[in-house]
Amino acid sequence: MASASAAKPKSAAAAESKTADKAAVQVSAPSRREFLYYIWGASIALFLGQSTVGLLLFAYPRFKEGEFGGVFTIAADEIPETGAPPVSKPAGRFWLSNHEDGFTALYGVCTHLGCLPKWVDTNGRFECPCHGSKFELSGKYIEGPAPRDLDRFQATVIFTDGTTAETNANGDPIPLNGRTVQEVRVNTGARILGPRHL
Amino acid sequence: MSVLPFPSFLDDIKEKGLKKALFEGANEVTERLTAGMNIQDIREALRGENPSRRPNPRLTPHADGFWLHMRPSYFHRDMTGLYPTFRLGWLSTYFVFFETITGIILMLWYTPSPDIAYGNMLNILSNVPLGQFVRDLHRLGAEAMVLIVFLHMLRTFYTGSYKKPRQFTWFTGVILLILTGLLSFTGYLLPWDQLALWAVTIGASMAEATPLVGEQVNLLVRGGPELGANGLLRFYLAHVLLLPAFLFIFTGVHYYKVIVHGHSLPPRSENPGEDTAKRVPLDKRVYFIPEVMTNEIMWAAVTTFILVVLCVWFYHAPLESHADPQVTPLGTTAPWYFLWIQGALKLGDKTFWGIIFPTALLGFLAVMPYLDVTVSRRFAHRRFAFSVSFVMLALLVVTSYMGLPEFGVATSPDTEILHEMTFEPAHNHMGVLRPVPFDQVVVGNYTTREFEAEAGNAQAAVAAFNEELQTTGQAQQLTNLLREQHLAVPALRFTTVPADAPELRHAMETFARKIQAENQELVNGWGVLIVTQNQENLRRLDLVISWDEVLVENGEVVRDENGNPVFVLDENGNRVRRMTPAHFFLHRNAGYYE
Repeated sequence: MASASAAKPKSAAAAESKTADKAAVQVSAPSRREFLYYIWGASIALFLGQSTVGLLLFAYPRFKEGEFGGVFTIAADEIPETGAPPVSKPAGRFWLSNHEDGFTALYGVCTHLGCLPKWVDTNGRFECPCHGSKFELSGKYIEGPAPRDLDRFQATVIFTDGTTAETNANGDPIPLNGRTVQEVRVNTGARILGPRHL
Repeated sequence: MSVLPFPSFLDDIKEKGLKKALFEGANEVTERLTAGMNIQDIREALRGENPSRRPNPRLTPHADGFWLHMRPSYFHRDMTGLYPTFRLGWLSTYFVFFETITGIILMLWYTPSPDIAYGNMLNILSNVPLGQFVRDLHRLGAEAMVLIVFLHMLRTFYTGSYKKPRQFTWFTGVILLILTGLLSFTGYLLPWDQLALWAVTIGASMAEATPLVGEQVNLLVRGGPELGANGLLRFYLAHVLLLPAFLFIFTGVHYYKVIVHGHSLPPRSENPGEDTAKRVPLDKRVYFIPEVMTNEIMWAAVTTFILVVLCVWFYHAPLESHADPQVTPLGTTAPWYFLWIQGALKLGDKTFWGIIFPTALLGFLAVMPYLDVTVSRRFAHRRFAFSVSFVMLALLVVTSYMGLPEFGVATSPDTEILHEMTFEPAHNHMGVLRPVPFDQVVVGNYTTREFEAEAGNAQAAVAAFNEELQTTGQAQQLTNLLREQHLAVPALRFTTVPADAPELRHAMETFARKIQAENQELVNGWGVLIVTQNQENLRRLDLVISWDEVLVENGEVVRDENGNPVFVLDENGNRVRRMTPAHFFLHRNAGYYE
């Protein structure tokens, strides 16, 4: 801070001593030296703030295709028939469910406390081994302590005729309407919460 | 009475008004956080005024606060300038924290396993935002730290600050120097690239020379007969846990001793034999708050700024290709701060120069203050000590120079040229041919003769070269040689480099110039490049250097009485034609040219 002290004009120093004489408790407006300290402190604070943002960016995980958190591409032959038992994709932690309302990619984690409900074929429903929440094939809540229907992932269905259909913001099933599916892309980074039941 | 949990503050507002109550509240919080200084005290300090109340609030943080209790509340005016400390001790401390922080950040993306460590590096460099930047900072900071700590030691020596009563401070300083070196060295291995593996292999091999228990030490350090998964894990744990723990402990001891004895004054400030560091006259006191504190922050800020600027524009930490325990790259060296041991090792016995010599040297450094019991710290009274130090510094420079691969590890010029043309990326450099764009590496056969010809005669020169190969039988020799390299080529017809491949042309010109530059040994030398493609998007580049062999003794060409080189002749009295090959593969996506 050599420049600050060198540039400090005599009048400012005189003004300071005058205020000091007047009242010991009274502190006047910032002097040049004080101001430069604040600027300097602010720039250090700014730098540290930037570093923190940079650190968060650095630490934030990135998702690759085919890894949980990234996009999964599913071939048409893996999609179950309408009403057939759902197909589990353990790498992506989701189920492919095809029911009368259409296609849904259901997140395989119970909305209650994070256990993994199993598909019980004899009962035709998902049953959670921890606290007994039950869900329909479409993910709809049946009974138990779970507060919501099963969550779902944002999915894009690509049909052979070139048209596509996407999961809407509510996470409703995608009606297939008998069209032939070419492939499905499930984005496990975009989870849509299932609707709360009463 | 208020029902809220902060009734007194509300009462304050009622009593004094909002503004005054807020100001007094902020004042109280500030005073608690700083352990003694309220807003007005801070402002006075920053303005360079004297404290307006007693007891002096600028001393309370030293007495009551944790952070400042380890810092003296005032310094002697004679040692707060640039001289005599050059702020090297503070900068060393700064780098301890800087390296710890950047190191912890890098650990987020690193796993110490040979299977994925290198993949982690590629991920950090190409996928993690600011990843390369943080790695550059950590690496540059490490190299700077070695330098700063060394300079700190030099400074302490020249000002005689190691003398009584500060011998033990110096002793812990030598331990810190060794720890700094070991930290840098263990960090070297972690990227698991060729540089890491071989530089550390060289370093660890010196441990093998330990008398009696060399084999056992070597196995303990490397975790096996050669560096592998165990070795990497050991180096990692030493780098992030064991050595930092010792570093922090000894930094604490070192600084405690500095405070106990006081910062030594410049030699001329006191009479020989006197130590007045702890008795600072009132008029010589420079208080920590604000002068020394702001000065230290300034040095930390400026150093950070320099590191950031360097890492953004000028410096990138090297990363070579994946570690390969089967191939030692040409020109491998230990880290630069170990070059002096490397150089000393070239003097002779591995046990003596690799273990006894450095141990004795560091041991001597550590106990030096107890041996040098002369009292005066004045430069003029220490002619002998200074002379010894200059001789040692000169030795350090010379042995470091001798540690360079340029010294003593002369390979033949053909090997050298082929290496320079083809070597894998290392230290941000790579072989001349590597960065040629894939599309310009046109399949075909090219010769350096094209670039030795006069302008406009390139076609004729290449035609003459084809002719020469046939008449001298070198064509057959070349084809046989390539077959030994598992490259089957039909009759080789050389052509000029296509006009639309300027980068390839440039590389071939360089190739020709390098051969020309060695024409004392590579007599009548030529080089060829044969580009073939056996797979889509993958081309093989074969280089061959050929020359008439001459007698070479001790790296010098043997000459007859007329000054002509003496050729090596076969049993029929003909000159022996030598050929040396090298090849590498280039993939379209290799991206060397990016």
